[in-house]
Amino acid sequence: MINKLNSKRHTNHQLKSSPEYSQASFTFVLSLAITVILLLNSFHYADGTVRSWVFLAFAAYAVFTIIQLIIAILIRRDLLQAGDIRRSTRLLGYVQLLSILSGNLFTTVFGCNLVKKRKPPEYTIAVYMLLTQLCVMAISALNLFKPYVSNTFLPAMFGLLIITVFHFASLLLVAKYVDGHYAHPKLVWIALPLALSAVSGNLFALVLGINLLAKIRRNGNPALTRWGDVWVKLTGNSTAMLGLFFVVFLFCLSVCSLLTFEYSFAIDNNYSAILLPPSLEYPLGTDNFGRDLFSRIVYGARISLIVGFASTLVPVVIGGILGAISGYYGRHTDNIIMRMLDVLYAIPGILLAVAIIAAFGANTVNLIIALSVGAIPTYARTMRANVLLVSTYEYVDAARAFGSSNLSIIFKHIVPNSLAPMIVKSTLTIGSAVIATSSLSYLGLGVEPHIPEWGNILKIGSTYLETHSYLAIYPGLAIILLVLSFNFLGDGLRDALDPKLD
Amino acid sequence: MKKNNLLLLMLTLVIVLAGCSVTTKEDAQQQNQQDPAAETPADNTAVDIELLGMSANESDLNIIRDQLSKNGFNVKLNLQPDYGSYKAQQDAGNFDIALSSWTTVTGNPDYAVRSLFKTGGDYSIMSDEEVDRLIDEAATQTPEEAVETYRQLEQRLVTDKAYIAPLYISLKSQAFNKEVLDPSSVRLSKSRSLPWEEVDFNDTSKRATEPLILSQANSELTSLDPIKGNDGSINIINTNMNVRLINLTDDDKITSEGSLSYNHAIGEGNYDYYFILRDDINFARINNKQAEDSGERVGADDVIFSMNRAKDKDSVPDHRTYTLHEHINTVEAVTDLSELENTKVSGSSESIKDALEKGLSTKISALVSDKNQANSSEGKYQVIKLTTTEPFPQVLNYLAHQSAGIVSKQQVEKINTYDINNFDINKDIPYGDQRSVTEGDGYNNTLYASGPYILSYKNDYEAVFYKNPGYMSGTEHEPRIEQINVRFIKDAESTLSALRSGEIHLYYGVPETRYDVVQSDSKLELTTIESNAVSYLLFNTKNRDVANSDDLRKAVLYSINQDEILAYYSNNKIKAYSTVSPIVKTGNELVADPAKVQEFLNAYKASK
Repeated sequence: MINKLNSKRHTNHQLKSSPEYSQASFTFVLSLAITVILLLNSFHYADGTVRSWVFLAFAAYAVFTIIQLIIAILIRRDLLQAGDIRRSTRLLGYVQLLSILSGNLFTTVFGCNLVKKRKPPEYTIAVYMLLTQLCVMAISALNLFKPYVSNTFLPAMFGLLIITVFHFASLLLVAKYVDGHYAHPKLVWIALPLALSAVSGNLFALVLGINLLAKIRRNGNPALTRWGDVWVKLTGNSTAMLGLFFVVFLFCLSVCSLLTFEYSFAIDNNYSAILLPPSLEYPLGTDNFGRDLFSRIVYGARISLIVGFASTLVPVVIGGILGAISGYYGRHTDNIIMRMLDVLYAIPGILLAVAIIAAFGANTVNLIIALSVGAIPTYARTMRANVLLVSTYEYVDAARAFGSSNLSIIFKHIVPNSLAPMIVKSTLTIGSAVIATSSLSYLGLGVEPHIPEWGNILKIGSTYLETHSYLAIYPGLAIILLVLSFNFLGDGLRDALDPKLD
Repeated sequence: MKKNNLLLLMLTLVIVLAGCSVTTKEDAQQQNQQDPAAETPADNTAVDIELLGMSANESDLNIIRDQLSKNGFNVKLNLQPDYGSYKAQQDAGNFDIALSSWTTVTGNPDYAVRSLFKTGGDYSIMSDEEVDRLIDEAATQTPEEAVETYRQLEQRLVTDKAYIAPLYISLKSQAFNKEVLDPSSVRLSKSRSLPWEEVDFNDTSKRATEPLILSQANSELTSLDPIKGNDGSINIINTNMNVRLINLTDDDKITSEGSLSYNHAIGEGNYDYYFILRDDINFARINNKQAEDSGERVGADDVIFSMNRAKDKDSVPDHRTYTLHEHINTVEAVTDLSELENTKVSGSSESIKDALEKGLSTKISALVSDKNQANSSEGKYQVIKLTTTEPFPQVLNYLAHQSAGIVSKQQVEKINTYDINNFDINKDIPYGDQRSVTEGDGYNNTLYASGPYILSYKNDYEAVFYKNPGYMSGTEHEPRIEQINVRFIKDAESTLSALRSGEIHLYYGVPETRYDVVQSDSKLELTTIESNAVSYLLFNTKNRDVANSDDLRKAVLYSINQDEILAYYSNNKIKAYSTVSPIVKTGNELVADPAKVQEFLNAYKASK
């Protein structure tokens, strides 16, 4: 009995200790879900015919999902028998790499993870960097089916192509020359261009560049910096990386859409193309004014991200400063600031936002202000609690003994060490800011109705739920995915930043 | 590295191949503009223009914004959530163009222009002598002659001066549950409201047990005194609560059918109008929230009282309809039978008496002054004579409007005891105030209804009406259904859902874009008819560039493409040229012309 229990525990432990195994199952489930969705959509239920394109996509996904299942079973067998994944199983990862052609990102990422036994964070970041670039290229290339493309489309696509090729080369180099604590010094020559290539919005490139430079400087030194440590943990967390990937992807797409997308498709009415179902020319169909839903959603991402980030950054800065001052000085300062913030806290955030918009009019700046004001107290409270804790530490006393000024103590010693919870909190609240933006637009209180904003798009879609449901489904999906991504990322960051989990 | 190079080569190849066939925006624009001389305008800067509207009309505003932007305007939207704030913005002059709409509820062309465009009209913000002259000229002409005058008016109003830019005529639509309601009993008329008394269930045994459930967007009822309101919140209700001297048919012809008069006749010279009154309508009142017959008959004294207060601006505070009745000169009861015998009908040798007797089973033997003495079976009748300030046959259309509804002289005088000069809305509760019928402490229903139904009480959820027991009993106009509930549902989508779920029986005013949903539902029936409602853009006449520059206004006018609007509404709108378009077919049509827009815009810029 005890032996049996022991062996079961042993099995569990063996399986859990391998990140590849949990990733394999996770990827299988996601891939299976999409496969099922594709299957369900590949039939016209009304007349019983098969949609050949969707069915083809289903078939492709099904193949890779089955391979994924086989890999997962093989890994389990390897782990239980040998305690390690065999080389032959790892080679199957190359097969999964091919799934990029079918657009199945999950299995592709898994393939990249599987083929390399020891993965420095730089390798994972490089993989995601390349994927982001490929996805942006693919999405932008859909514009080729439009009647015309923007004037900057061709040069921009060519630029993107060069960057993609460079990223691909970087991935190969990183895979070959970067190790746990060592990076080839000559990689400095790709680190700088990588950081520069982040102008396309691909923040993974920036992170990779910085990480490479940092690693080269500390070559051979096994001590981990905080920054490096966070990335080691974050890259090991698939859900967090998926979240980060989607956020960076949207950001990159928003930046690239400046050049590769034509704004007039998103905003000009086209009465000859009203309420068309999805086609190659209009990948997500058109709305009741004949505007291309696909272009609108892409442009909407820009507003959602800007408002989401800005309306989180403003209260983080204001609330952070107020919280830090009130936590450090205590007594009357603390009382006055916190009681005033309590008053603000007593007003429901969304109500305050509605009131501000109603009073000052609906535009993006007012929207950011409206969403920011209500969030200040919560950030101030978080910051104050951290500062109260940190200011009791010895190094603060030491700084004081050296005669540092209060301000320099607060902003040099205390605030940097109290930031972690603020970062986690802000990542988690960006999601709610995105939802609040969309809700206000949905109510007609956000940006002007013709501006492509996800809430606006959803509002139009909501009246066509029955007849043209795609008008509501796609913007709804976009909102869900972005919010979910921020939440996944926030969770991952919390784990990565929490010293207790070490 | 070899693989890498190969990939690079392949991708480059793909892009280059694609690049050969890709059309950029510049290419597309060059293809569209074959005539290079026509372009290159002197000044390419966009002209700022502020467009005011309500969020309920968001789609129209978006179409106009789009059309103006494409024609070189920089449109600033001033979007207001409701009519109140929209009107406030309009009164404050915070607009260049305002999206407006007008419904000619009386069905005559004069009403469609008089108060909107004549100097000093109650909705007019403009003043143009030529326009004034043409409006007055058309009012006195026969319908055939008036067509040419209205054509000239449109020429001046729209083509020459562009005081308005017309958009479209709407359809009037109504959807109802045909499993519950008898389709032949549900009327849809061009101008008049739905006559509730005719609506019937398929299963007539339900008349006494089940209420008919209608819906309405606005739960704030302006006033139940017919002369104190003329808007969507009360038009249908007041039409069914107060009987009138005359009615309109479904296609806007004058008829005595279903009205207080058996017959009517126009005297020679078009100054005098005669009505012979029915004797089978009593006022209903509410006792203990139930309707009962007050025992008081609707008669000549009530008609005289109602007409006089309708035309008198100072008869009540907040009189909102006196301009409709400004042509009424005197109203009196005729007691001398010889007057009817000696007066001829306009354009005929027939006497008024003969005209009024048509179709009556008992001829007129005597005219009585006491309304309780009137008895049609004995030949004792009451006759009303109404004179106008000038020959004006269209006055009959105004008498068919809900504001000409007959109220009880006795009851209104009993309630309206306040001093009109010191009227205080917080203290005085006038006749028909919605506070007196709203459930709660202030409830004190003092209504006397001469029409087929009477309002018992209302709350935020619904208003409940009961049949008037003394209304034309035993005739075909006797109300069929005992109780009518009007649900207040603000949102069009929710109303449609309520109709589909069977919560309400009839939905008046289905949005054009939702017709397909109604039509695809087997238990619903949709009826539509061209209405007298016209949407147009109104230009500001003060302190703005559009007020002074004809060129700028015309540039806006020719930017409007009605074909695109029709396409958006899947052809469920009709082209318009002015507010008289639904009533008089003048043959004018607005054709969008981007070349003219550029011409006028350049002229405007040059003049600055």
